[in-house]
Amino acid sequence: MNSDHMLKTLAARNPVRYAGQKGFEMTRRRLLAHLGAAGALALTGAGSRAMAQEDRTLNLLCWDAYADPRLAEMWLKDTGSKIKSEIHISDPQSLNRLRAGETKNWDFINVNDPWAKNFFWPEKLIVDLPRERFDPLYEAMLPKFKPPYARAMSRDGQHLLGVVQRLETFDIAINTDKISVEMAENEGWDMFNNADFKFGVLAYEDWNVMDLCMIAGVHPYKDKTEADVAKFTETANRVMKQAKTVTTDFVQLNLAMLNNEIDAYFCGGTYSIASARREGNNNLWAISPPKGPADGKGGINWIELNSAINNPNPNPRAIDFLEWITKPEQSYIVASGNGNLQPVSQMAQPEVLAKFSKEELDAMQFDTLDKRLAAATEFDIVPQYDQLYDIYAAAVRARG
Amino acid sequence: MKREQKAGLVLMSPPVLLLIAGFLLPLAFVAYTSLMPPRTFGFTSNITLENYVTAVRESYWRPMAWSVFFALATTILTMLISWPIAKALVRKSRRFATIVATMIAVPVFIAETVRLFGAHLFLMPRGGILAGTINYFFGIDIGSVLFTPLATLIGLLYIYLPFALFPTVLGLSQVPADQVEAAQDLGASPWQQLRYVEVPIASPGIIIGSLLVFVLVLGATSESHMLGGQSAVPIGFAIEQRFNYAQDWPLGSALATVLCLITALLVFPLLSRLDLDRLFGR
Repeated sequence: MNSDHMLKTLAARNPVRYAGQKGFEMTRRRLLAHLGAAGALALTGAGSRAMAQEDRTLNLLCWDAYADPRLAEMWLKDTGSKIKSEIHISDPQSLNRLRAGETKNWDFINVNDPWAKNFFWPEKLIVDLPRERFDPLYEAMLPKFKPPYARAMSRDGQHLLGVVQRLETFDIAINTDKISVEMAENEGWDMFNNADFKFGVLAYEDWNVMDLCMIAGVHPYKDKTEADVAKFTETANRVMKQAKTVTTDFVQLNLAMLNNEIDAYFCGGTYSIASARREGNNNLWAISPPKGPADGKGGINWIELNSAINNPNPNPRAIDFLEWITKPEQSYIVASGNGNLQPVSQMAQPEVLAKFSKEELDAMQFDTLDKRLAAATEFDIVPQYDQLYDIYAAAVRARG
Repeated sequence: MKREQKAGLVLMSPPVLLLIAGFLLPLAFVAYTSLMPPRTFGFTSNITLENYVTAVRESYWRPMAWSVFFALATTILTMLISWPIAKALVRKSRRFATIVATMIAVPVFIAETVRLFGAHLFLMPRGGILAGTINYFFGIDIGSVLFTPLATLIGLLYIYLPFALFPTVLGLSQVPADQVEAAQDLGASPWQQLRYVEVPIASPGIIIGSLLVFVLVLGATSESHMLGGQSAVPIGFAIEQRFNYAQDWPLGSALATVLCLITALLVFPLLSRLDLDRLFGR
């Protein structure tokens, strides 16, 4: 008996279906028949597999915007299946989780693009995508993503590893009542070398390592010499000691800026200040220094790839989800998910852009996006990260 | 073996098995992981003590010292604050006790992060609730303790007071009123009543409250994050760093093992003095 037929048999014999209805009586014979059918189905395992394919939950290992309940509701409405999501902490942590065998638990991941190219794909933790289906999505993005977009491809350029959606620069947030935008852009990271400067640190620690490289005048994404490491060490100890506060909560840092306890913080961007700006605090401003040690650039531009995980029992809807998530309404939710605002590559489409109010576009400084992107180098993997991170962590411990 | 003993063994075995599986085995797993080479994820490498050497050589003594300091200070201060409140709860009318106990207990059911964010708003300088109110009415700028170790300590007192208070109430409720009166009649001063009558009889509750607060504060991190601005880094945060951004489970496990050992060294001598039978009036 094939599994479809068996499922229909079970559904037809569902004792609940006629419960309480006239003409239906549950006799011992009927009950035994139902139990027998259910038992046979359970023994073959076919029924559970078939049902699992029908209603299988889509499991997302993602950043916060994708955990927005509005997306889960829309997906349930459109497909009848649920979404379960877990917010991940960092690219390397998710990499290690998948390496440890968690590919069977997840269907979708969004990571910063160099991690997909250099680790997730070579280690077969994600699958490649059919270009004939996904290239048209790239055609509809901001011009820099015209296919084949190199940063979304495997190193040999043969495989498409995911779909670009969220992107932004993430450098310095300032209070313009205290520091003008021009001055902040001119001084750039050197502001934090000023002994009188009052600043905070948003403890997204992998970003802090890159930012401290910038403050030390060291290219974050190139191999470090001994002199570079010495400069980084001195800078990390001094800057982390001087920081007025170090916290993982950017709301606290925004409050501290509004309350004049600090004049700026790193790492920060429209992701961290847009919600405060939307509340009318237009004196909070995100800058990406146009000059800096990263091949002359001072900003860092992150781009996320939405990818399908190489689950040994793949969810048939995982690939569909990658396309579904780029539709206008879904793109808007991703851009405004979890109460924050950040641009998505789909904003090149008029129908997506039209979803944003003028206040929302102002809050995310959309009119300065091109300028900030031009000032920024693209996020990459930090060579000698372990060594630099340990120096950073020791500097944090030495604060007290 | 007697029939009662057999029945006792049978009844005891499910919780014992649960404790082994849910408590001892994970601890053993952490201890074993601490013996693996740094930044590795396998369990078949040669055993090494390198992580313990790193834990001692690097500056991990700082967060360890801060955590022990915060735990001791919070335990002592919460006990001092709890004692008069507990006495009032035990001695005063039931109506008064219910109101005070509710005021202290209800916040426990609110997420710690929310309460700490409230404390942040309260302590903020200038526009903060405390500083802003004083400034508005008296024109005085009191500044703020926010982003200092003192702010962390205030947060710890705020969060962990109920854990000290309710066991102390339980302990004090064991003190017979006529015994205190007898001490008074015999000319005992208030200090002597406290020293020779109330504290000895209430000691099981005091010990339980102290242990709860001490152990919980040793692992606490949120107060330092949200109020202290990491001006003093607790050991829980240093451990969390090793497991998350550093992806160094073996060193994180070594630090966790050291913390468990320090906790055991401080806690077991106190536990051995605890007479639960007396506390429950058996």
